[in-house]
Amino acid sequence: MIVAGWVPIFLREMLLFRRKLLRVGYLFSAMVTPIIYLIAFGLGLGNSVKMAGSDYLSYLIPGLVAMSSMNNSYTWVASGVNLNRLYFKTFQIFVQAPIHPSSILTGEVLAGMVKGLFASMLIIIVGLLTSSTFSLTGIFIATLILNCFLFANLGVITGMRTKSHEDTATYSNFFIMPMAFFCGTFFPVDRLPNFIKWIIYILPLTHTNVIMRKGSLDEEGLFSLGILAVYAVAFFIYGSRLIRKYSE
Amino acid sequence: MIEAVELTKNYGEVRAVERVSFTIPQGEVFGLLGPNGAGKTTTIKMLTTLSRPDSGRCTIDGFDVVKSAFDIKGRIGVVPQENNLDRELTAFENLLIYAMLHRVKDRNKEIKAALMMVDLWDRKDSEVTHFSGGMQRRLLLARALLPQPSILFLDELSIGLDPQIRRQMWDMIRKTKIQGRTVILTTHYIEEAENLCDRVGILSRGKLITLDTPANLKASVGEYIVEQIDQEGKLMQTICKSPEEARELAKNKEAGVTIRKSNLEDVFIKLTGERIE
Repeated sequence: MIVAGWVPIFLREMLLFRRKLLRVGYLFSAMVTPIIYLIAFGLGLGNSVKMAGSDYLSYLIPGLVAMSSMNNSYTWVASGVNLNRLYFKTFQIFVQAPIHPSSILTGEVLAGMVKGLFASMLIIIVGLLTSSTFSLTGIFIATLILNCFLFANLGVITGMRTKSHEDTATYSNFFIMPMAFFCGTFFPVDRLPNFIKWIIYILPLTHTNVIMRKGSLDEEGLFSLGILAVYAVAFFIYGSRLIRKYSE
Repeated sequence: MIEAVELTKNYGEVRAVERVSFTIPQGEVFGLLGPNGAGKTTTIKMLTTLSRPDSGRCTIDGFDVVKSAFDIKGRIGVVPQENNLDRELTAFENLLIYAMLHRVKDRNKEIKAALMMVDLWDRKDSEVTHFSGGMQRRLLLARALLPQPSILFLDELSIGLDPQIRRQMWDMIRKTKIQGRTVILTTHYIEEAENLCDRVGILSRGKLITLDTPANLKASVGEYIVEQIDQEGKLMQTICKSPEEARELAKNKEAGVTIRKSNLEDVFIKLTGERIE
């Protein structure tokens, strides 16, 4: 049976992912950061802090899901593409295969989304067990999937552009970590000084947090969804272009 | 047929390949011989669509490697110099992914045939990380042949292999030639180039300095070499056109003189003043 070009790339990642899942270390590393935040901020501060009219734990969990989906979708793809391209050279077999560059991107992105959704699912389970007000809605799940798609695409872009594996950490420190802390994961963006607020509103995770904390899509939610969609399309087009222009 | 015209590739200030031209007819085993850094791998990367030439052009069966890369990718099999197998996957999984990428029909049957060809069928479920270097090179060859490519590129196929495995690889290459495939191989093993190649191009510092059959190349420098170690331990060599000339020369020298047939390294030394290895 002939399969679509992205299928073998996705399958390869899933075969590798399955092996990682069997190692306790992988599960632990996927969960450890958000769980630490959950314990330190949610359970530690949660009883004494109110945020946006609810207890802090309920406020925090959607933010941790957004952050975790971003981190895992982005990091695994960025480092995977970078290592496969520069060190293991397995990226060469994709480039030399008779498939379209967007198929390579699609396979990598879908695999990144699975990893992001898997890590998010672990936080969601913890959230459902610890918070009485946290619930899953259709718009929450749709935004989560879009967030994973967007950041997996950004991961491919980083993996394609960086000239060494160390560079991926630099990108992460400059773009991913600030987003994790300032884009509404731990506190509302309104509390930031005005001069940096507009920068934060440009960043995609801010809009993921906005939608994921809403039960329905109002005007602000629709605007944020539009922003996320623009980012997703732009990253996909740019990622495809980078793969199409790939030359060693 | 492969036709390269004035292929040039620079990496920053370094000119890796400079105006390299050659034509390879269907069914030929063509060798690119040269020391490390001569431009062999860069040439192969350009021919296999992995690297874009800065200038010049190359066509494979009439398709341009830059403009019609998609058409070329379905015709070629590549064994790269650097092992790019997925070490955490099994041999079977590695070939399965490759077969899917290349739209191989009847995948399981073809994978079994490929693994049996390289004597790895009984290790199909072992992770590649547990394979020896020779087994990994054999698996790379099986993978490259899986889609039945009409052109096979082998970049330093036998590097790091022991002589027995190397000869097994040579037998497999001869078999692919019998099947009508074009084979382009790079090597810095003189013996490999002489044993396998119909024609050999010698690269030095990115330039193709000569191209001919191994016999003609050797004849061009003289077919016999008279060698003697001098009192300072330096190897002295004299090239002779005939065995009579070589014997006559040896007679006039002191003990410790040997006469041997010339090889492609002698050609390389004569043309460049350097050694290959």
